[in-house]
Amino acid sequence: MHIPLLARLFLMLLTMLIPAAAVAGVNTLDELEKVYGDKACMTCHEKVHGEWQKSLHSKSVVHVLGGLRNFITFGLTRDWKKPVDKANLMRCMHCHAPLLEHASESLMADIGALIVAAFDGKEGAKKELSRLNVNCIVCHNTAAIVETNLRGQPKPGVYYGPTGKTTPAHGTEKSAAITTSAFCSRCHWLYTPPDGDTLYCNTLYGSYQDAYRSSGGAATCQDCHMKSKGRGHTFPGAYEPEMVREGISMDLHATGAILQPGKGIKTAVIIVGLMNNAGHRIPDG
Amino acid sequence: MDVTARTDSGAVIVVAKKEYREIGLDTEGNERLGAWQIKEIIDLTLPPQKRIDERFIVEFPENTNTAEIEVILKYYLSPSYESTVHKLTKKISFGK
Repeated sequence: MHIPLLARLFLMLLTMLIPAAAVAGVNTLDELEKVYGDKACMTCHEKVHGEWQKSLHSKSVVHVLGGLRNFITFGLTRDWKKPVDKANLMRCMHCHAPLLEHASESLMADIGALIVAAFDGKEGAKKELSRLNVNCIVCHNTAAIVETNLRGQPKPGVYYGPTGKTTPAHGTEKSAAITTSAFCSRCHWLYTPPDGDTLYCNTLYGSYQDAYRSSGGAATCQDCHMKSKGRGHTFPGAYEPEMVREGISMDLHATGAILQPGKGIKTAVIIVGLMNNAGHRIPDG
Repeated sequence: MDVTARTDSGAVIVVAKKEYREIGLDTEGNERLGAWQIKEIIDLTLPPQKRIDERFIVEFPENTNTAEIEVILKYYLSPSYESTVHKLTKKISFGK
């Protein structure tokens, strides 16, 4: 793949920026987007980027505004009487906007205010929040290593993928983990924040391991939600009717009979069969 | 899932309504909707790779000769966002 010199220099510069920003904590969404945004990836990965833009991973904050706002307004402020700070917001953002782990406290306070404002319909707030998501950098760098205790932290500027194919644009490394369901479990499962609490946003990976794998299932999340039918980085789920139809099949049997001799009660016996073809319980997320 | 029957005489009979979902509970057993509040679940979902057969028996008015059974399976992403997953109908008759 030919990459123009200027683009290569830009990408190299971007790579160099990452560790510095990670130490300092970024103060604005502009800065966060400049260092950890998806725009640079578009240069070479236009098709995949286009797929991702159609996915809910690209809307992982604005798509759940109601839940985030309720956590801030009713959870933190009313019930827990706790500050809307980074530690508390990361309970949600660990999955909904993981790159905010690089944000400063002041940016996190701004994000909290933006969420409430966007929920209240304040112009511009939702647009600002739409810049937060689960982008290329998250899966291919910051969250790419599942066993950080064994394999260490991801290297800045290195992008992890299933092949590890080299490119002059940036460092690459092969990741076995990125093709496993365990990789997706980072967010599609119970979340335990550093204080030891448990968050039940969804429990999908639990039923995958304990009900699907335990009964002999072998497909991975990626098999059905990426590889099948060329779904790629659109990661379709319950918001795609076709995906739900594929996940659940239904059949109907009904028989008319006249029961109770002498009385002749006209009766229908109806049997509806529902088969969950998926590798996890339905519904879940 | 909604199961209804329509008779040839125009009667509409609601046979059954079944829901498959998780119910989130706090530690005191109260149903909760916020993820931060939920600590246990009652699992009423469809389990993976399993078939569930729901059986219903419904009685019809004496003047019924035929009836159409309709089953609609809907997926609710939120109370206000639904999509129809499957819709099946079957006609039955009574006697000859």
